[in-house]
Amino acid sequence: MANVLNSIIANQPIKPAKKQEQNAAYAFTSEGKIKPMKDKGRLLPSKIFDTPIDIAKDLKGDIVSLGKAAKGKANDHELGRINDLAMKIGSVALASYLFVKNPFKLNKAMEFIGAGTFFAGMSLWPKLTIQAPLKARTGVDVHQKYIDSQGRKKMLFQDPQYVLTDLYSKEDVDKMGKKLGVAEDIPDRDNVIKQRAQKTALQANTLWMMTAGPASPLISAIACNRLEQPVNTLIEQTNLRSSKEKLNSVINPSEKTGVINKVKGFFSDAAQKADNAAFERYLAKNKDKVVDEAMIKELSAKFGAKAGSETLQKGITEKLLSLIPKQILGDEAIKTALTGQVDDAVIAAFTGLKDNKIMQDAIAAGDADKIAQVLTNAYNKSLVDKMDKATRAQTKDKIAKVIKQAQAKSKPNTTLGSIEGSVKALRTSVSGYASNHAKLNKFISARVGDQPNTFIANQWDRVCNSFIKALDLDAKELEALSKGKFDKIASKLDDIAADDAKYDKLITKLMKLIGDYETQTGAKSFSSAVADASGKISAGSKDAMKAGLGEGAEKLMKDITVEVTEHAANRAAGARSSFYRLVQTLDVFRRAVPAKDNVPSQLAQQLEASLRENAPDLADDALKATVDKLVKISKKVMLSAGSTDYVEKLTTQGYGLSTAEYKAVMSALFDVNNSSIKTTLEKSMSAERAGKLVGGLKAYQDDFMEKVANWGNYMTSDLGRRVVTGATSSQNAKERANLVAKPVTSLLEETAKKKFNSNKWFKIFGISLAVLSAVTLAAGLLLGRKGETEKQVEAESKKING
Amino acid sequence: MVYSIGVQSQNINRYKSVSFGKKEGKEKSVCENHDALMYEEKKKRPISTALKINGDKLVNAFTTYPKKGLKGSKNANFYEYLTMGTVPYLAGSATMIAVFNLASKFFDTPAAKNASKLGKKMGLGVAMYGVAKTVSKKLVETPVNLKYGIDVNLPYKKIIHELPEKGNTDNLVAHEYHKAYESVDFPRWDLFYNNENFGPDRNSYFEKVGKKMGIDVEDLEHADQKVKPLIREKVVKTRLFSTLSSYLWAATGVGIAMQSPWEKLVLNPKTRINNAKLLKEAGLKADNFVVDFGKKFVESCKQFVNNPSKPTKYAGRALLGAAVGMTLLGNFATLFDFNKDKGSKVNASSPLIDESKEKVVC
Repeated sequence: MANVLNSIIANQPIKPAKKQEQNAAYAFTSEGKIKPMKDKGRLLPSKIFDTPIDIAKDLKGDIVSLGKAAKGKANDHELGRINDLAMKIGSVALASYLFVKNPFKLNKAMEFIGAGTFFAGMSLWPKLTIQAPLKARTGVDVHQKYIDSQGRKKMLFQDPQYVLTDLYSKEDVDKMGKKLGVAEDIPDRDNVIKQRAQKTALQANTLWMMTAGPASPLISAIACNRLEQPVNTLIEQTNLRSSKEKLNSVINPSEKTGVINKVKGFFSDAAQKADNAAFERYLAKNKDKVVDEAMIKELSAKFGAKAGSETLQKGITEKLLSLIPKQILGDEAIKTALTGQVDDAVIAAFTGLKDNKIMQDAIAAGDADKIAQVLTNAYNKSLVDKMDKATRAQTKDKIAKVIKQAQAKSKPNTTLGSIEGSVKALRTSVSGYASNHAKLNKFISARVGDQPNTFIANQWDRVCNSFIKALDLDAKELEALSKGKFDKIASKLDDIAADDAKYDKLITKLMKLIGDYETQTGAKSFSSAVADASGKISAGSKDAMKAGLGEGAEKLMKDITVEVTEHAANRAAGARSSFYRLVQTLDVFRRAVPAKDNVPSQLAQQLEASLRENAPDLADDALKATVDKLVKISKKVMLSAGSTDYVEKLTTQGYGLSTAEYKAVMSALFDVNNSSIKTTLEKSMSAERAGKLVGGLKAYQDDFMEKVANWGNYMTSDLGRRVVTGATSSQNAKERANLVAKPVTSLLEETAKKKFNSNKWFKIFGISLAVLSAVTLAAGLLLGRKGETEKQVEAESKKING
Repeated sequence: MVYSIGVQSQNINRYKSVSFGKKEGKEKSVCENHDALMYEEKKKRPISTALKINGDKLVNAFTTYPKKGLKGSKNANFYEYLTMGTVPYLAGSATMIAVFNLASKFFDTPAAKNASKLGKKMGLGVAMYGVAKTVSKKLVETPVNLKYGIDVNLPYKKIIHELPEKGNTDNLVAHEYHKAYESVDFPRWDLFYNNENFGPDRNSYFEKVGKKMGIDVEDLEHADQKVKPLIREKVVKTRLFSTLSSYLWAATGVGIAMQSPWEKLVLNPKTRINNAKLLKEAGLKADNFVVDFGKKFVESCKQFVNNPSKPTKYAGRALLGAAVGMTLLGNFATLFDFNKDKGSKVNASSPLIDESKEKVVC
């Protein structure tokens, strides 16, 4: 039949179609000739990645499909596309939720990176491990797309029983045939090639289905694992910059110019308005409620004070409490309230005090605490055995409590509505100060905040990782270290100290990192900047704060300045000392390296000199033995001594030092003048910079000597230390602990733990992905082989052709 | 493809052996060797039918179909390819759970604890993604079935006559489980004609659905002609909204799985038994796993919509709102006909063919 039709068509002269001929019915007449519609389908060029134009076009198609489907008119192809679109919408919705839910920026970012890498993994896996190698080897592009006559984009090999191989040109088929190794002299060769392509694609698609499941999550997890660090650094740097800009805008307010600033300003104004509106709603909602302590807490949290400081919060709470009118109780009422609740002698004392000026003022002001204070003192005086401090305080509290209860009982409850005006006014006056301080806190927290993604956290990781990397531990040693086994550490450090290149590299790296740390968190650039900013904020808000909080406002602001500055300096100091301790440790190990020609090490010489001075009675042999012991102990002290060990003057826990030995060790350890650090640093930086960096180390060591190492004779209290040593500066246990810093061993253990976990995880899943990839690639080599039928055809044609 | 009755009779034996769940000894007529809706089976035994279909698909997805596909069998088809989609879905979920849980046993205790907290949530997230996605579709599909009698998931058993391969000329009949409406371009209308399950007439199904749609089917000679486009429209809308809402529900499911109450859920049976013993000694009764899981689920749902952190609270509510909203929109769009006045339904009294115009019969 087809032949007849073809011959009819072929024998007809071609003439332009008349209008009549376009009629469907006419086509079926003998004059119209039945002929197929013009084929509009075509293959699309293959790409590994879609271009943005492709993506935009697809999205446009998806939206059109969505519109059609909503009217109930979509076809199968369009519904399939909607499924993909819905999956992406769902993923974005989920990632957005998790973005909001996660408190930290890194986790927020990782939600989207996780979703993105998952989709990327899903799309790239088959392309890279199956389709690309297969195309290179057999010429069959399994990922081949085509556009059908209706303009729908589809995968050519999706349905193995409906493959439009006709869309391939003769050249394409021949190319595939050559690569597939199809014999050239067999009958119906093109069809054989097409069938092989079809079979190959089916096999590849099946292989894809079998391997895609584990591949996508593995790719995504490993990509996230690798991307976490760079993203973390990016966030850290952005936070450092933006928090500084924000603080600058507070200190030096200027007109907001530039589009970005205007947009930022718009959003911060909108946020402020929303915050105010929420506060108004709270007031309206709780208008008729009685103001109690819980409400005061809620209220003060809504002042923006939570972003400020504890001291500010306390100040606001106190002020809010003072807004509740106090009930004034008369003499008799106070006496009645106390009767039966406290000792009768207290009531007697009160009766005697009634006319006392201070007591009268306190009664007139309804100040229960003041009344209780005066009364307690009078009561105490009347006693034969005077009360101690604690009992006095207890008695005072008890009396005040009884009076307060009586006040509460007799006073009408204060509703929020009745003090609304004062609360609003207070909020208005402190809000500027609170929000500016919140910005200062962001500045502090971006640098030394106790949370992930801060500069201090990242710098800590960088320093510790550089150190552990230099130790060059193998997997087993790392595991042992992660479990708290430190036996290899000393010998590893000895190796580094003895090797000039390794030592130079590590010490330079550490000192540079410390230099960066100082730039961000040093006393000059950071603590004084914080104090300065807090002072400027206070000055700017002085009048408003005074109007809101009264005369105490100035003292409060001063306290807050001290609080934030100390907090900032303390946080920075802890990590700084740990960094210096690492450098110091390395330096001590370096100085302990024996010089050539049987000359004792520099450290041994220093120890010997010091011992000769402090323990002149030691005989030469004993001196040598002691020096050897002290060299070992010096290393041990650097590696593992904690602040308690210093408090105990290293007499216990395996150190067992005598006073002379202790002094010798301390003066030898904290002696930067004898170290070669400066010379080392000068090899890779200017003398000025090297001097600056070593200067920092020296300042730390001097501080250490004064406040920790040289600290009195076994005195554990600060007062004792000052009396014995005559020191005028005071310091506290926290400061000492900060200076001693984290012992190197526990710092290394922590770092090793993190590294070990991360390595273990990466090993399990990295190897899984590598094996999966290898198996998939190997399996790919088995695809597209000759089938039995083809072999037979080949054999037969060989026979025929001789 | 045309087969002689003889071939078909031979194949019935194989067909019998592969179809489990049938009563033994019941003779099959030759007609059973054709595609047939599983309407009655689904109506009488919905759960076992679903299990049978899904079980069959699952087993084949992991065994027969990959074997055929990897060999490059000429009998491999698109249905098999789609059914194999379960493999990456399940293997991917298992890998996802493994990624967050497997390595933690090598970690020291605090790190393992942290990892297991997250791992537990991720594992639950994967499970709840699947459950929420599947169950939520029913929220759009069931009302359509109840109102119009259009079951978009109505399964049918398709009999496949395969091509002989490598000398295999005997076992050439296989079966597949499809849905009558899986293609909106080519729904299996033929399976609804003359189907006794819907009534005695050829068009009983279409008359039944037509009536439910408010069409006066008594006046029509060919109810199918009029009802078919309307069914197609409902199927498309149902599919659209069930798909859109299912992914939002899936996201909501994961969101709920990420709440903190789950951290306290003990999954390890040994620990559970030990805890129960300890509680018993203290004179307290431990919740069984289902009750415990239920309680944690309720707590997590509460936390999801009422998180102490305001942005998280609103984000949770927004996600849940989007899912609920999309489902309701789906119900609204599928259960009410907006196109009534726009002529989407053919006017009952107007003939399908315009008598006044000249007709060409091909």
